[in-house]
Amino acid sequence: MLTLAIDTATKVCSVALCRDGEVTAEYSVSMGNTHSEGLLPQLEQLLKRTNTKKQDIDLIAVSMGPGSFTGLRIGLATAEAMAYSWQCLLHGVDTLKALAQNIPVEGILLSPVLDAQKGNYYQALYQWQEGKLVELAGTEVVNKERLLERIAEVEMPALILGECKKLEKLELPAGVKLAPRNLLMPKASSVALVAEREFDPEADKKIFGLEPYYIRRSEAEELWEQRQKLQQQ
Amino acid sequence: MSKDVYILGIESSCDETAAAVVKNGREVLSNIISSQIVIHRKFGGVVPEIASRKHIENIMPVIDEALQQANVSLEDIDAVAVTYGPGLVGALLVGLSAAKSLAWATDKPLIGVNHLEGHVFANFLTDPELEPPFMALVVSGGHTALLKVTGYNSFEMLGQTRDDAAGEAFDKIARVMGLPYPGGPEIERLALGGNPHAIEFPVAKLDAPYEFSFSGVKSAVINYLHNQEQAKREINRADVAASFQYAVVNALVQKAVRAMKDTGLKKIVLAGGVSANKTLQTTLAEAVSRVGAELVHPAPILCTDNAVMIACRGYFMYQAGMESPLDLNAVPSLKLG
Repeated sequence: MLTLAIDTATKVCSVALCRDGEVTAEYSVSMGNTHSEGLLPQLEQLLKRTNTKKQDIDLIAVSMGPGSFTGLRIGLATAEAMAYSWQCLLHGVDTLKALAQNIPVEGILLSPVLDAQKGNYYQALYQWQEGKLVELAGTEVVNKERLLERIAEVEMPALILGECKKLEKLELPAGVKLAPRNLLMPKASSVALVAEREFDPEADKKIFGLEPYYIRRSEAEELWEQRQKLQQQ
Repeated sequence: MSKDVYILGIESSCDETAAAVVKNGREVLSNIISSQIVIHRKFGGVVPEIASRKHIENIMPVIDEALQQANVSLEDIDAVAVTYGPGLVGALLVGLSAAKSLAWATDKPLIGVNHLEGHVFANFLTDPELEPPFMALVVSGGHTALLKVTGYNSFEMLGQTRDDAAGEAFDKIARVMGLPYPGGPEIERLALGGNPHAIEFPVAKLDAPYEFSFSGVKSAVINYLHNQEQAKREINRADVAASFQYAVVNALVQKAVRAMKDTGLKKIVLAGGVSANKTLQTTLAEAVSRVGAELVHPAPILCTDNAVMIACRGYFMYQAGMESPLDLNAVPSLKLG
């Protein structure tokens, strides 16, 4: 099985090619330039350097969020149009889960986090158990204090990874560390590996009407609802 | 006989997700538009993040429907044309990403289209004999301009608005009067029962012969409404709408007629959302006929945002070999001319 993966959930624009669990190529750029400019040239290079024919791709894997709304939509629109053109499968992968895939090490708690704006984080908790990636706690929007609390509740040495630059200045409790820099950010190869494990040959034929995992509603909707509530009172 | 050319057009610059297939630049095979007007109405205008969310949900189904209704397969398409600006950046990026990916995945040329040029080209679908040179009066929520179309791919900007666009003034007055979004058509409807000469709203006189200014007339209407309210005088809403519309249309027509006289061109086309305004259509047609020129305006369905006009513009660019690179980005404030 040949899998082409895309992750544009953060400032990293990452694409990868994977064959039956083996990563054959990966191309990540983290320069803060727009993914709209970089994504297709990177995909073009990826296929060229690996001598891959477009029609040989069986599965498109795409990082679905949480993450930057605009980035997620660039990735998903690109992935959907490819799956539509090549009539192949499309599998969406949770960005936090893909981050946990970066560090397949047992005996530690993995806490992937992504920036949810205004000092908040999207956070989930994972652990590798007997070669399997297990979600210990689902995605929540939390502040810094709650983020560390959730980790402490598991009572295990922990690694935080993802968009955690702002946590660097924070004094972390004993046993809690940030992941090494080269494994910190999303990698399309991780997205591919999760997708190869999880894909569903029937359900993944559906490529219409998919939505990124926004978690949060748009600000306009939240404000509108608040106003409605005030008016009712 | 040369081969038929099929262009797939994609548009997502504001609150319509649209796709269309046009044959040889003039024949509409499909025109799919998924409108979000109802969704944005409760917010009183387009909310960019919500628009982008609807676009990503709808983009592939709309493209698929356009191909199916045209009865063409993706392989039959010769090029993918897509709006890359002007518009809301997040909204543009959805259609642009899908279009770039489709073009790349199927090894077809990508053609980035200026949305405003697209509006002008909607007229090629109304008038089969239309060919450059001709004049274009572009009137929308974001733009008001007189553009000389000197060739299929060459434009000369004669003048633009210095402040508000005509459509923007319509929308603002509509909002002040408590009319629902989108306000332009609501003003027009209200104006039907009013006297356009009831109240005189002045439009700024400018030295530049082809430039426009609508912030003055907008303020005049707002001040009028405010003063009447303060004095507890009754407001005839239909008269206000009709008089305001008259002032704006009059300014547009005067400048357009001047441009037709000066250039000696024989055809003028309307382009942009406000081109659906019937009063503008009839007043302008009458005025330019007095200087021996003819008005062309798009069919109502092609006045508002659509992908047919993008495919049509894309066709002429395709014929001229004007392809876009794969790193094409959205340009929210892309200029005309």
